[in-house]
Amino acid sequence: MAQTLVPDPETQPDGHALEDRAALVRSRTGLWIAVPPAVYLVLLFALPLLIVFIYSFATRGPTGQTILANWNLAAYTRMFNPLVREIAVRSFGYALLTTVICLAVSYPFAYYLATRALRVRNVLLVLVMIPFWSNFLVRTYAWRLLLSSSGPLSQLTELVGIGQTRLLFTPAAVVIGLVYGYMPFMILPLYAAIERIDLGLVEAARDLYASGTRAFWRIVWPLSRPGVIAGSILVFIPSLGAYVTPEILGGSKTTMLGSYIVRQFLSARDWPFGSALSFVVMAVMLAATMLYFRTGGRTL
Amino acid sequence: MSDVAAVQLRGVSKRFDDVTAVDDVTVDIRDGEFFSLLGPSGCGKTTTLRMIAGLEYPTAGGIGIFGEQMGLRPPNKRPVNTVFQSYALFPHMTVHDNVAFGLQMRRLDRDEVRRRVAGALELVQLTGREQRRPSQLSGGQKQRVALARALVNEPKVLLLDEPLGALDLKLRQAMQLELKDLQARVGITFVYVTHDQEEALTMSDRIGVMDAGRLLQVGTPEEIYERPTSPMVADFIGDTNLLRATVKGDGQIALDDAQIVHAETAQPAGSEIVLTLRPERLHVTGADADVDPAHNALDGTVARRVYLGNAVSYDVRAGEVTLRVRERNAPSRRRFAVGDAVQVHWAPDAAVVVVR
Repeated sequence: MAQTLVPDPETQPDGHALEDRAALVRSRTGLWIAVPPAVYLVLLFALPLLIVFIYSFATRGPTGQTILANWNLAAYTRMFNPLVREIAVRSFGYALLTTVICLAVSYPFAYYLATRALRVRNVLLVLVMIPFWSNFLVRTYAWRLLLSSSGPLSQLTELVGIGQTRLLFTPAAVVIGLVYGYMPFMILPLYAAIERIDLGLVEAARDLYASGTRAFWRIVWPLSRPGVIAGSILVFIPSLGAYVTPEILGGSKTTMLGSYIVRQFLSARDWPFGSALSFVVMAVMLAATMLYFRTGGRTL
Repeated sequence: MSDVAAVQLRGVSKRFDDVTAVDDVTVDIRDGEFFSLLGPSGCGKTTTLRMIAGLEYPTAGGIGIFGEQMGLRPPNKRPVNTVFQSYALFPHMTVHDNVAFGLQMRRLDRDEVRRRVAGALELVQLTGREQRRPSQLSGGQKQRVALARALVNEPKVLLLDEPLGALDLKLRQAMQLELKDLQARVGITFVYVTHDQEEALTMSDRIGVMDAGRLLQVGTPEEIYERPTSPMVADFIGDTNLLRATVKGDGQIALDDAQIVHAETAQPAGSEIVLTLRPERLHVTGADADVDPAHNALDGTVARRVYLGNAVSYDVRAGEVTLRVRERNAPSRRRFAVGDAVQVHWAPDAAVVVVR
């Protein structure tokens, strides 16, 4: 097999590029640039996290104080009660639904965006980002007005004869709020991924007897998968830990993990349990993200 | 082979907003022929090809493929396949899956797909690379995959959009002969778009020369090269001297600087024409040498000499015109230096008269 013994010169990586890369790795100038953000992260992120971790093994005192002695796993074992399970399942459900709706709505928009002329794209991208210019809390309160039974949406349904809609404080209101809040985090990575796809590939597929639909599912969809994965992670994770949206738009039956954790710290004054919950949620998110990357997000 | 044209274009035009990319093109491309559309970039040749493929629709005129009018038929329902300029290989699929794509879309059964993919890869000498990804292939290999991916479908017409443009010269020349060979073996009509006149001359049975959206001339490489019908065709194909002139009658033609030469033309006296003279049909001799009296001869001075190895190229200033002469390199030939007084002469049938 002479063919396999002689390397094809055209497929070999460029030697110069490799040398340049090696020189960059050896050089130490990069280290000094990396130090300030590293210090910042360690002090302000890792350290508090460590404190949370330590607290999760502590005990709640009779008046709500935290006793930093007699380390135990009580906070973790208490997590297996039905209430926590119900809240966890609900949170996962809402987050999943939010992610799916965001994906379904954002994909066509991102595709449209990515295939426009550059000038139109920029205008549309700015429009996507405009909501970030005002406070999230204020925008969520605005939804409260929109969704209330005397609000515009309800008036519209009444006008067409379906009667009033009572959306506020229902699970639907929470999901609507979450979809609204996290949609840009789906649109942007999708746009970036689709924009990179050579539309000539779609033409090639069409030339090779693929209908428009099949060309999409065989070419555009798989090539945009990095964007789908990134967007899904960016929407699912904050949705899972959402606090503001379910607090403002939801009712007593729509409590999500975020609110439940906050309640442990503030009203229940059970810091060890709150810490343990936070940590488990974080670990699950991390594990899910890693699994996601493993199964197909390598090119992200 | 049938008498029906493989591809028939009738008054085909394509407008993009206020730009006319293709302007009233009519041509019959014959069954089994290697037909090239040749022209500078932006001349409309690629748009013409894309209209045959169904990737664009004409704004006027009609396209027929083996007698069937295509109308607004989408690309996936046309009996043609395309080899794209940048190959457009699917990066997320292996070589095998790329080549199998068209067959799978037509829902051929598995064994048939496997058999035909293997055959196509053998045809382009890529057997054994089935599981590679496009990113692991060299330019030449990608080109072959693109070719196999189109040919495996056994299209009635294969459309090729500058398929060799991205390859270096050596590889390109090798692929030109290989492609021509392949076309003869598979017997499929090839419509080949290129801006490289040498490539078109080497490979084509017939060439259609395009400029500014119009099809200027259709003919065999010999016809296009030796009997161009317009200054643009003469200029675009090969090196040529274009001399503006006026027909005087009696076979006499006056160059714009009033020098008189002789050439055959059917144009009436007073016609404004361009005289096209191929450099290799011109000869240089010393100013005092005897020239065949039947030849045209102009006195001049060597303004530039370029040594080309197998030939020597002279630019000779004669009156107001500069003539490029290419003399074959032979030991017996006298060489001239810049500044030498010389005569440029040519046989009367060497000049082609083209209406301005």
